[in-house]
Amino acid sequence: MPSHTIAIDIDNLPCPAGAPEPGSCVRVEREEDGALVRLRLDPPHRANPVFDAPLLRDLARALGDVERDPAVRGLIVCGREPLVFCYGADIDSISELESVEEATRIGRAGQEIFQRLHRLSRSGGGRVTTVAAVGGPVPGGACEVSLACDYIVLADDPRSRIGLPEVMLGILPGWGGCQRLPRRLGVPKALGAILTGKLYGARQAKKLGLVDRLAHPVYLDRIAADVATGRERLRRPERGYWTWLIDRNPAALAVIKSQARKGVMEQTKGHYPAPLRALEIAADAVRSPLQEGLQREAAALGQLALSPQSRALVRIFRTGEAVKRRAAGADGEKPARFTRAAVLGAGIMGGGIASLLAEKRIPTRLKDLAQHQLDEAQSAHEQRIAKKRKRRSLEAYQADAAIDRLELTREDLGFASCDFLIEAIAERLDVKRAVLGQFAEFVGPDTVIATNTSSLSVDAIADGLPHPERVIGMHFFNPVAKMPLVEVIRGAATSDAVVRRVVQLAIDLGKTPVVCADAPGFVVNRLLAPYLDEAMRLFESGSAPAELDRLALGFGLPMGPFTLLDEVGLDIGAHTVASLEAAFGERMAPSKVLEPLVAAGHLGKKSGRGIFLYGKGEDGDELNPALRRPASAPAVSSLSSEDRVDRMVLPMVNEAARILAEGVVESAAELDLATVYGMGFAPFRGGVLAYADARGLANVVERLRELAASPEVSKREGGRARFEPCEPLVELAALGGTFYGS
Amino acid sequence: MVACSPSRRIVIAAGLRLPQARAGGAFAKEDAGHLGARAARELLARTAIPGDQLDEVIVGCVGPPHDQANVARVIALRAGVPRGVPAYTVGRNCASGMQAVTSAVTRIEAGIGDLYLCVGVEVMSGYPLIFNQAATDFFARLAGARTSMAKLAAMASFRPKMLSPRIALMEGLTDPTNGLIMGKTAENLARDFGIGREEADRYAVRSHKRAAAARDSGRMAREIVPHLGLGSRPGKLALTADDGTRDDQSLEALGRLRPYFEKPDGVVTVGNACGITDGATALVITTEERAQELGLEPLAVIRGFAWSGCDPSRMGLGPVHATSQLLERTGVSVGDLGAVEINEAFAVQVLACEKAFASREFAAKHLGRSEALGELDPRLLNPNGGAIAIGHPVGATGARLLLTSAHELHVRHCELTLATLCIGGGQGGAVLLERPSA
Repeated sequence: MPSHTIAIDIDNLPCPAGAPEPGSCVRVEREEDGALVRLRLDPPHRANPVFDAPLLRDLARALGDVERDPAVRGLIVCGREPLVFCYGADIDSISELESVEEATRIGRAGQEIFQRLHRLSRSGGGRVTTVAAVGGPVPGGACEVSLACDYIVLADDPRSRIGLPEVMLGILPGWGGCQRLPRRLGVPKALGAILTGKLYGARQAKKLGLVDRLAHPVYLDRIAADVATGRERLRRPERGYWTWLIDRNPAALAVIKSQARKGVMEQTKGHYPAPLRALEIAADAVRSPLQEGLQREAAALGQLALSPQSRALVRIFRTGEAVKRRAAGADGEKPARFTRAAVLGAGIMGGGIASLLAEKRIPTRLKDLAQHQLDEAQSAHEQRIAKKRKRRSLEAYQADAAIDRLELTREDLGFASCDFLIEAIAERLDVKRAVLGQFAEFVGPDTVIATNTSSLSVDAIADGLPHPERVIGMHFFNPVAKMPLVEVIRGAATSDAVVRRVVQLAIDLGKTPVVCADAPGFVVNRLLAPYLDEAMRLFESGSAPAELDRLALGFGLPMGPFTLLDEVGLDIGAHTVASLEAAFGERMAPSKVLEPLVAAGHLGKKSGRGIFLYGKGEDGDELNPALRRPASAPAVSSLSSEDRVDRMVLPMVNEAARILAEGVVESAAELDLATVYGMGFAPFRGGVLAYADARGLANVVERLRELAASPEVSKREGGRARFEPCEPLVELAALGGTFYGS
Repeated sequence: MVACSPSRRIVIAAGLRLPQARAGGAFAKEDAGHLGARAARELLARTAIPGDQLDEVIVGCVGPPHDQANVARVIALRAGVPRGVPAYTVGRNCASGMQAVTSAVTRIEAGIGDLYLCVGVEVMSGYPLIFNQAATDFFARLAGARTSMAKLAAMASFRPKMLSPRIALMEGLTDPTNGLIMGKTAENLARDFGIGREEADRYAVRSHKRAAAARDSGRMAREIVPHLGLGSRPGKLALTADDGTRDDQSLEALGRLRPYFEKPDGVVTVGNACGITDGATALVITTEERAQELGLEPLAVIRGFAWSGCDPSRMGLGPVHATSQLLERTGVSVGDLGAVEINEAFAVQVLACEKAFASREFAAKHLGRSEALGELDPRLLNPNGGAIAIGHPVGATGARLLLTSAHELHVRHCELTLATLCIGGGQGGAVLLERPSA
């Protein structure tokens, strides 16, 4: 073994329970009289292979075989199937790391193994032509091992996605990715890939130069062998003098770095450290020796992996993956997919849901009594699909089919073969019951009947329907196509099988489903209500809406409360709050400040004026003059920014503690997932409860009490009720616990 | 000449159509594949026929888009018909939609399958402009030029006249065997039968009035499903009725139009001829028993059909020839018919047919009959107006006439109705429908 190898104790890496026999994770296949070796990553303990300790260990061992065998001229690294390579590093083990040193060590271990591959390769001065023959998802570590080879051959298939998405998890490509990608693509393109964390499709990856050749999945093995044995010679376009002009030119790099930094800051508002670290390291990669760069990379990985931001992002990611597994039954079997859907009500929500269903390959029949609503829904659908077509995310024939799949009708005919029905009609219990009762007779005996209600009880709707076990809530958010969360509301009678089917449907629609109990407001609306209302109260006592919006953005929310209300619609907001007040009493009592606006028809963006003014030349910067503070209110708030942020955020924590204690969701992690995906609650904070944990529950309780006692809050109706910390929160804090602790 | 009177009870089990829109208007951005599929998909949804039970899909279309060869297959797949069900396109010019139906009848009669989805569709808005020969040669020269000098020389051979396109619509409406555009064949009939301008215009006004009345009474809505054209701008509303019908059509207004095909003395104007139109009609053709199994109440029984040829320069008389055949075959007389649909390609052409039906001389000379075929009651002829008011999407019309005729059995509570049309190139087609026994 070469002398500069660092001793890495792979056996000390975190190893999953039930790890297989050493040597069983990588199959070593010798071909062409031993001149060609294929290393097939095939860990028996993983349905989706990842670089965990056993796989890294076995890869190192297999490389040792090749290093010792002078007959080997070609080496192929590939997966168990053309479209299954490896899903990158084991994210579970990342989340279990306990120290910066440990994380750095993992970085070094992976780097060292991939370096051995590199040193075998011709590009690393070795005697073997190495080829990565990959396909399907090739993210992160899987991409990095490929980059260590001489050539990358990628399966030409829509399922192939390759890239370095590490920054999405708050870390950086730490197994040589920050070093090798800039060397391969040049600094500007490499930064584009690393800082966005984008995964590239086959054609894009080839165009970018990330891979050297595409091959049909069926021919992948053969063509990789041709390349590895030299029967087919691939030439990589040389960057030539560009390397000197840009990658090694400090002046050019300085410009590129400052531009990239500006872009990152714009995107992240400075809340995320990972892209900035990655930027520094990747930009300097070409100018400094590889070993030095690798060391910097590993050190940065170590620090970032333990950062609270990464912890939060990884947890959100893992919870998102975990809830998706809910679709499978006890036997691991996925539930039956729906073949034809009915959507009742062609308003914004119904039209949006129908459009999404049709796009995602489910023939959908949309019914409304008003032809013009149907027309609007169809236009919106066509426009959305046309936009996707323009962005090339759909082929022409796919766009045509997506449009064909949406049927629109005013009649009650043609619903017999629908096995999924969802209503998005008026939020009135009697109307919903009557319509669903009628349609339950039109559809088949196994049809799942869903309601998109946001303010009514699913049980109340199910009551009186012939099969309450088939009734479920499926709460989409507006705009349907964009918002990633779906609250799946399990009624008292809803069967497990129906929950699983609807969870699967949400996943197929590209959404993250969170299963909730049938409690008023479910999760997201119940948390939003006190937050939005508290912003109104702050306005009443002298804060400017634009300023409060800025504070919310600074906290890490994607949109300020006032802008959000204008987007949602003031009428919708008022309706939701009214139902929450009816359910939870005075702590949800809304401010009266918006009432004149609603009465005047200033409902937000949709009517051109709400809290702000919209339309010609105005993009929501100017306050609607119809919005007035009470005469008695001060014109300027005396509160500090900190106080105001707490006033908006902590009522959410208080309410979230109640939601969790009531068992509306199964875990703190799922509640946080809902807050991140449903309201965009700062992902780097990991959600409402993770935020509270990080702050310390004792501190949260204390602050809530202070705020409850403050004159502005204590004097108003329902103020104390909103801020007085709830019992579960107080108890948990008293025990010194955390929401995630137990 | 062929005529068929099926030995089995073959029925139109269900049907619907989209509103017919003037070309370049509400459906300007449609294509035949989408428009046909929309009608077919809606019919399958309403009838709840499982797609895999269909034996075949047959589509009539005169000018399928160049990128939709065998447009029937395109329509079937886009309508969600399972892949295993085959589909083919038929063409018999203006009767293509009717041909789709008689093809299905013939197959069922021959014992080949018993459940067919038939569609007639035409998007005349989509008819292309074609580069003329000079332009085609120019492009060939340009593509063939290897050196830059040769390329330059090729480019220099460009002439402005190359920009003058061939218009597929006009050429399609011209009979290549005699060089007559359809309007001129109608002028021949006007001369043969002594039909004047005012008579033709009067007929056109009647067509509009009847179509408007049928629309207002809800008669049209029995067969129409509203449709919002593909690519409509937001805020645009779906078409719920044929948009060619003019409520205020009058003799005065029509009188001001200039003859279109024979200036200055011709009779045919754009006002007393059918419009260029987009539309689609879908029908389910099956046996009476099968319809019952599927839980469908048939609209009509197909008693028989006939196709016959005639003088291409007098193609407008095709309906007389075909009807004569059909009545002889089925043993029915004109007096037994409760309503008659003669496609209104041109007002003079319908009027000529009317006269030929009543003429003993015509019957003797052309039909081999000693007596006149029989006088048509003007009240029963095209009682809901026709193509002059609602348009003539060529490939769709044949199926549309059958749908209208089938509904007329129930509206008028009569036993028999006839749907017949003239066909460019000198042919006629006719189908006799009977009210199903309740």
